Amino acid sequence: MQHVAHVNLAHEDANPVALEIAGLSHVYDGREGQVPALDDISLSVGAGRFTVIVGPSGCGKTSLLMMMAGLRRQTTGTILCAGRPMPDPDPQRVGVVFQEASLYPWLTALDNIEFPLALRHAPREERCRRADEMLNLVGLQGFGSRYPHELSGGMKQRVSIARGLVQDPPVLLMDEPFAALDEQTRMTMGHELLRIWSMTNKTVVFITHSLTEAVYLADEVLVMSARPGRIIDRIAITLPRPRTYEMMATDVFGRLRDRIWQQIRSPA
Amino acid sequence: MIFVAVLALWEILPRAGLIAELFLPPLSKTLTVLFQDRMQYAMAMLVTLYEVGFAMLIACGGGILIGAVVGGITLLRKLLLPVFSSLYAVPIVILYPIFTAWFGIGSESKILFAGVYGFFPVMLSTAAGIRTIDEQFLLAARSMGATVPQQIVRVIIPAAIPTVLTGLRLGGALTIIGVVVSEMLTSAAGIGYLVTSYRTVLDSPHVFAAVLMILVFSILFDALARFVERRTIVWQTAGRRERAGSRPDARVAPAVAAA
Repeated sequence: MQHVAHVNLAHEDANPVALEIAGLSHVYDGREGQVPALDDISLSVGAGRFTVIVGPSGCGKTSLLMMMAGLRRQTTGTILCAGRPMPDPDPQRVGVVFQEASLYPWLTALDNIEFPLALRHAPREERCRRADEMLNLVGLQGFGSRYPHELSGGMKQRVSIARGLVQDPPVLLMDEPFAALDEQTRMTMGHELLRIWSMTNKTVVFITHSLTEAVYLADEVLVMSARPGRIIDRIAITLPRPRTYEMMATDVFGRLRDRIWQQIRSPA
Repeated sequence: MIFVAVLALWEILPRAGLIAELFLPPLSKTLTVLFQDRMQYAMAMLVTLYEVGFAMLIACGGGILIGAVVGGITLLRKLLLPVFSSLYAVPIVILYPIFTAWFGIGSESKILFAGVYGFFPVMLSTAAGIRTIDEQFLLAARSMGATVPQQIVRVIIPAAIPTVLTGLRLGGALTIIGVVVSEMLTSAAGIGYLVTSYRTVLDSPHVFAAVLMILVFSILFDALARFVERRTIVWQTAGRRERAGSRPDARVAPAVAAA
């Protein structure tokens, strides 16, 4: 399946750039004065693209994602999502998937998926329909009435993804969603995510520590430096889609991964 | 099994003369006396239940409200929580004479006293429950567009319920103790009063009959509270398990091809 950056989604304004960040810097108050967290970040994510951000711990990538989600305000710079700023969370524009699935243990899987719609007081019929659709999309049909404690880690993340997508936002932000899973589950989930992504045409920004995961999933990998976080490299992943596990053994894959690792170890 | 053994001992030991009947009347005598004077005991139980009911309203209602406010507002929490924790350590029972001096020896003083007595564990565990809510829950809620009232009603309250329930169980037990003890100290009605008045005439079977009623009541309350708590325990274990790292549930893993 080819993903062309200028495909216009029917319900979107004709803007091929889903997410645009310009001159973003962030400083916060630490114990001993101001701490620069992010330094002059500028990036542009095309609609329908899968972008992965990697960087050393503490480089500020999670903060950056929180700002894209409207959960935190940056000190300077602008974030435009589908052409409009994001001062506050907007679940109809941006869905968020966290590392800890953060499913509410007192709600069933379906209730968890419906939660954003319930917050909006959407009519019951719409809530049930959308939740069912999402449940099927992530491959959990039949598990809707289970509680989170009855689900495995991978299943919980699927529910979390379903919840992020239930309002059909054009953008999906994911903060190391598979970090808490074992390696095998992680690989399966990555594959599943690509399937879901290819079916829904979302713009995805995905944070990970895993270089393999980054190369496997991404159209483009943005490499960040240590704090204060800066974008030090943009690497286009030219591997064909759909991605397969076999690609992981190829030279191209290895070279791409090495390049990322070089950048992180000794930033240019 | 132990339960049956205890009942058996209760019957056998006094009858065999191993324990003087004054100190432990046989179970059968206790039950006989209880049945003979059942109207009297029933009336007394009603009074006690009435007092416990209102005292629980104060302890549980007030405890939850104040616990939620103090636990939720950082400034209040830093100022007041240490105060309340210290007060909890004070044996409130010794303050009972003050309550009688202020409110007389009728039901009001007992209700207020027991209400205060049971208030602290409820308030403290509610405050703790509010505080220890997983930050991620609120972050997720915000990302889904929840307003602050929605966060409180749909996230904070459900998340705090398990801890609050534990506090209610402890507070409820203390409320019962508070009522019974205050009835024993200064009263003209209620189960505690029966204990005291029969004690002064050394009528052990009647005393033990009253004690038995109190025991049964406390056990029933505790069982009910634990039952309700057990239903919500999954909410707590779920949170804890996630933090420890996920592992596939053996029951569901085979049924799902991928994770």
